[in-house]
Amino acid sequence: MSHTGTEQTEVRLVIDGQSITVPIGTTIFDAARTHGIPIPVLCHQQDITPVGVCRMCVVDTHERAYAAACIRKVEPNARKAKPEDPDLVVETNSENVRAARKTLLELMMADHPTPCVRQQQKKDCELEGLAAEYGATTSPYPHRELTRGRDTTSPIILVDHAACILCDRCVRACAELRDNFVIARQGKGYNAGIAFDLGKPMGSSSCVSCGECMYSCPTGALTNTVSVKHEFKTGTPCETADLMALDVFQHVSGNFLDFNKGAVVKRHFKKGEFFFREGEGSSTAFYILEGLVDMYISTQQAHVHTEEQRGTFSSRMRSKLVNRHQHRRQGEDMGRTHVVVDGGLELPCDQPEGQRGPGALFGEMSCMNAHPHSTTARAATDCVVLEMRRNIVDMLRRNKTFRENLDELYLTHTLELHLRKSPVFSSLTREFIQALRSKVRLVRIAPGEIIFKQGDLADAFYLVRRGFVKVTESCAGGDLVLAYLPAGSHFGEPALLGDGKHMATCSALDNVDHVDLVRIAGEDFKEMIRLFPQVHAELQKVHDEHMRENQKRMANISDVPLAEFLHQGLVEAQSLLVLNLDNCTRCDQCVKACADAHDGVTRLVRDGLRVDNFLIATSCRHCRDPLCMVCPVGAIHRQVTLDVTIDDTCIGCGECAQNCPYGNINLHEFEVTLHGEELAALGAGQAHAKKATVRKATSCNLCNELKEPSCVYACPHDAAHRVTGEEFRDMLKK
Amino acid sequence: MHIDRSHRAWVLWTAALFMLALCGYLLYAFRFQNGPSGGSVPGLIFGGAGYILMLYAAFLSVRKKFSRWRIGRATTWMRGHLWLGLLSYPLIFFHAGLSFGHGLTFALMLILSVVIVTGVAGAALQHYMPRMITERVGRETIYYQIDRVQQDLAHEADSLLVSLFRKDTQYGLLVPAAEKTHANATTLVVLSEYSGDQLRKAYEDNIKPYLSHRGAYRHTLHDARRAKSFFADLRTLVPEPVRPVIDGLESICDEKRDLDRQSRFHRILHFWLLVHVPLAFLLLVLGGIHAVMALRYG
Repeated sequence: MSHTGTEQTEVRLVIDGQSITVPIGTTIFDAARTHGIPIPVLCHQQDITPVGVCRMCVVDTHERAYAAACIRKVEPNARKAKPEDPDLVVETNSENVRAARKTLLELMMADHPTPCVRQQQKKDCELEGLAAEYGATTSPYPHRELTRGRDTTSPIILVDHAACILCDRCVRACAELRDNFVIARQGKGYNAGIAFDLGKPMGSSSCVSCGECMYSCPTGALTNTVSVKHEFKTGTPCETADLMALDVFQHVSGNFLDFNKGAVVKRHFKKGEFFFREGEGSSTAFYILEGLVDMYISTQQAHVHTEEQRGTFSSRMRSKLVNRHQHRRQGEDMGRTHVVVDGGLELPCDQPEGQRGPGALFGEMSCMNAHPHSTTARAATDCVVLEMRRNIVDMLRRNKTFRENLDELYLTHTLELHLRKSPVFSSLTREFIQALRSKVRLVRIAPGEIIFKQGDLADAFYLVRRGFVKVTESCAGGDLVLAYLPAGSHFGEPALLGDGKHMATCSALDNVDHVDLVRIAGEDFKEMIRLFPQVHAELQKVHDEHMRENQKRMANISDVPLAEFLHQGLVEAQSLLVLNLDNCTRCDQCVKACADAHDGVTRLVRDGLRVDNFLIATSCRHCRDPLCMVCPVGAIHRQVTLDVTIDDTCIGCGECAQNCPYGNINLHEFEVTLHGEELAALGAGQAHAKKATVRKATSCNLCNELKEPSCVYACPHDAAHRVTGEEFRDMLKK
Repeated sequence: MHIDRSHRAWVLWTAALFMLALCGYLLYAFRFQNGPSGGSVPGLIFGGAGYILMLYAAFLSVRKKFSRWRIGRATTWMRGHLWLGLLSYPLIFFHAGLSFGHGLTFALMLILSVVIVTGVAGAALQHYMPRMITERVGRETIYYQIDRVQQDLAHEADSLLVSLFRKDTQYGLLVPAAEKTHANATTLVVLSEYSGDQLRKAYEDNIKPYLSHRGAYRHTLHDARRAKSFFADLRTLVPEPVRPVIDGLESICDEKRDLDRQSRFHRILHFWLLVHVPLAFLLLVLGGIHAVMALRYG
């Protein structure tokens, strides 16, 4: 039991004779799971709020009634006889508990159409699996005579109400994971079931067919009728059963893998072949089955020295080979020794090379965040890998067990390196880091979540393990982004060294992926700087420098109209279509050119936000932080050129259009001719080619097949320009 | 097109070419025994060069039509159109020996002059008017959408008036209750029958006709000052909680006025093209006929 001052932070419980210490408030289910003790459950999955409705996870806590492990939190026990006694004693697998579960299973199986669609197709119906384990496949209770029916109105998802056990996993997945709020419970008693919108058939409800409910369903109540077509240029598509046999896919729903058939392919790489090169963008990640992969940074990394330009005749005539006297780029020398890259590797800056072996996932940072690859990956030996789309990686990483394995690996192998790569912490001893290992907490921050606010009291020091942390400071004109801290950075120390209050707000970058942090409690941090004065001195130096820079920055920004610039997200833009209204004769040549370039459908509207004498046309800005990329089928990618494009796997759900804060994505209907395979997927047989209307999201692709965007190229009045947010700010200053 | 410093190179080159042509013309005019003539070799060179420049200038419209062609940025074409088109005028004059001639030649010179004058006027308009539109039209929309937006405004105004519904014999408006005892509580604010009738009359007689006609430049509400006074009078008819309805109607009329102004500016900015473009093409056709006639039968 650990205390901070007088406050108790952890509790001790004994589960099936095994003593476990966990933070206060941990559920019995999580405590057991983290220590490898299995507790069966149907209504709970790791990434949604537990509700404890199925009661399958009942455990004996030696209290008045059995408790549902997924919702029963462990609290300090004030009534225990001796301080060394555990706060809670739990039995998860006693005879009585098993009997209770068997009864529950028999009751559920009485209503369940055995085998359900899922059991028939993929043999992974969780209910039937548990029933078989507990010997409850045949129920002594009478079966329901009237079936609750099927809803076949959705072209993608089959709803079999008869197989629904009312666990509400789909309801919570729809609301909590996707923010769609389409599914809810309706009816009472025997007529209770799930409903879409206000009891509409699924096909005519506001469901966007993202499939999340289907992946969450533990039975055959929600199953897929078609698969999303994923096409890889190379590789052998993996069968669902083969994937489910792999350890890494143990906790992934068979429904999900089946729906995304083709989203994982097995590929063979010969020694020396490249997986990807540095700077390229891609929407796939790799999982190594066999072989070794070299990962390295090929870009030369060196500090750039530039001579001060004096502009005199003699200085211009001076040979470029002479030594530089004045050093104008001193601030660019960050003194870093390591850089964090894909696959959780930390590469030394002087020789940025590393290797990954079987069981490693790499390329996931680019895949999840749509950033260009930071390394080149090349097969060191002949390799067999699984290449997978972003939605698969996302599903893998949602799983707590998978993440905890990664966390354990991190604490064991990487934390020390992580600390040492910063010169500030180079004097820490190995013993201290080992002691710190048991004290740090690995925390996961949801996209956009605030870690702490400006003015909050500081209680911890943080290291960025993965993702980006946005540092913003409130000033007169609005919030100013000071920095995006990448993996390997640290923050929170200025307040611990200063007056105890944070000087800026830190949040997870509002992107599509989580941020992983290492949290070192304030007391441990203070202990560290007390024991290692050199660390204290280095941190103090950095802190003082930050304070000086901050004062200068604040003096510089006072005359910039920041509020509008920041609130409208202009600073995020990589390519704003800006029209200088002093030049623009409103001839609409830009719109006509855009329509000509894109099959007659314009992707820009010459209307939008006005800033000074400029119009920001309604056209994709190719944001640095593209919120639109939250696509259920991963159809939006960042190209190698960093442009955001929507490919043909778009299902027209409109999620991207809804997520784009600037209204720059539109949905259009296109006439297409469907051939054999597509028709078969829609259940129309292989017969003939057929014309159909396809709904697809469209956004500006900067005419990437041409040298320059048509809108700019076709403007006769030099009014249209594509600029970045910073360039636009400079234009405004002029 | 805004003519700024970025045009300097074009201006200098055009001036240089003009000076070269002028020197050439002066030499040729003084040295030829019979004076300058369009049929002489130098005259034909001037005519040919002028016609080629006119052809180049006319090709801008083709360039605009096929925007996917990667044959140079439209801005460059436009600058060429402006300055080389202007240069064609003295070249043609040198070709004609600084005279307007007779018959077809006279017609050609007259059309060319009109084309050049309208072109220069157009360039001046394009230089000044975009800024004027930006400054004076606060709520601008796409020109072709103006009718649609004005219809929407008329509907919006109708729905605002409908919100003042009639209950028994009284007009009233449901407004949020002053005391927030219940989140969705509303209070019926009652208008006197006189006020209600006056408001409806003002809407039917003034606001609605103004909103339903594009332009309506002579309408009372088109004048911002008089409109302000009109709505100030209306506000005195209604109690405080109902005034946002009047504010809404005033805002709609202001937006409609902006759109009318935009419409008028847009027409001024582009009307000259109705003269410039057809005459330019007529000039090219007649110029071609003139060339064939002169070379074949001259």
